[in-house]
Amino acid sequence: MTNSIRAHEVTSDLKTIVTSAVSTGAKSPEEALGILERLDRRGIESFVTETSDSLIRYWTIGAQGFLNPEHAAVIRSKRPSPEHENVLDWLSKNIADIQAQYTGQWIAIYANAVAAANPTLHELLGQIIGIDRPFITFIPKEPVVWKFTYAHQKL
Amino acid sequence: MHTKNFEHVIPFHLIPAHQISYPLLEVILVSPDGRRTRLSLLFDTGASVTTLKAELFELIGLQRWDEGQPVQPGTGGGQITVYQYTATIELLGKLITCPVWLNNQFPSNPYFVGVLGRDTVFNEFGFGFWEGTHELYVTGNP
Repeated sequence: MTNSIRAHEVTSDLKTIVTSAVSTGAKSPEEALGILERLDRRGIESFVTETSDSLIRYWTIGAQGFLNPEHAAVIRSKRPSPEHENVLDWLSKNIADIQAQYTGQWIAIYANAVAAANPTLHELLGQIIGIDRPFITFIPKEPVVWKFTYAHQKL
Repeated sequence: MHTKNFEHVIPFHLIPAHQISYPLLEVILVSPDGRRTRLSLLFDTGASVTTLKAELFELIGLQRWDEGQPVQPGTGGGQITVYQYTATIELLGKLITCPVWLNNQFPSNPYFVGVLGRDTVFNEFGFGFWEGTHELYVTGNP
């Protein structure tokens, strides 16, 4: 078992957002809310203190090889990682924007954000090397038709 | 009276814009090189074998989607040719090596990229299907 500890960024996109939020501050309540909502959408907990500071939980500390993969699967089924929860709920909530922006593309979702998109899965996989367990799906151009026994309905 | 116990209750996923709920399960596909990718699959008791969109071939270590054993399953829409492979998935804490079909005619849907079928996978679990409450009950100790 490797016990080396590493701190890592979730994605470079997140780093940009967090750095921007910290370095420039917000010039209005609307701008502040916008920044905090962007962080929310990416699953980053943040809040404003009584002294008008912002606090952002950003870094993740990981211990490689923390336990046996078989045991890890059992633990994960009982304690899912926050960034891996409710990806379908997030997808549903944002489906209109995602369809508008990524139609005809494969997308990788990580930490409640589209981490990468590409018309071919091969290219997408190259873009997301290093992302831990991304959620992958395809956003079709054509209208969705449910052909299964559960429904025969056009969405 | 029979009594069954289930450790997991999985709510169907509601498609809010259409107020339709579907039994979707998230699995982790474990590639031969160790890469782990999360996929959403439709729970389908009518599917004999777990079936994925053909484009996912790279994730099970293939160079092409159609290099495996051809199979011609009958479907409601007629006969198609799929290709059979073996893949490892993680579902609800269990690693399962099971047959998988790749289908290049699998309909595209943003909410799932395949169906979770019975072969091997269902042997590992017991399922209770409550349409009225939109819940799937699952035990890993059938």
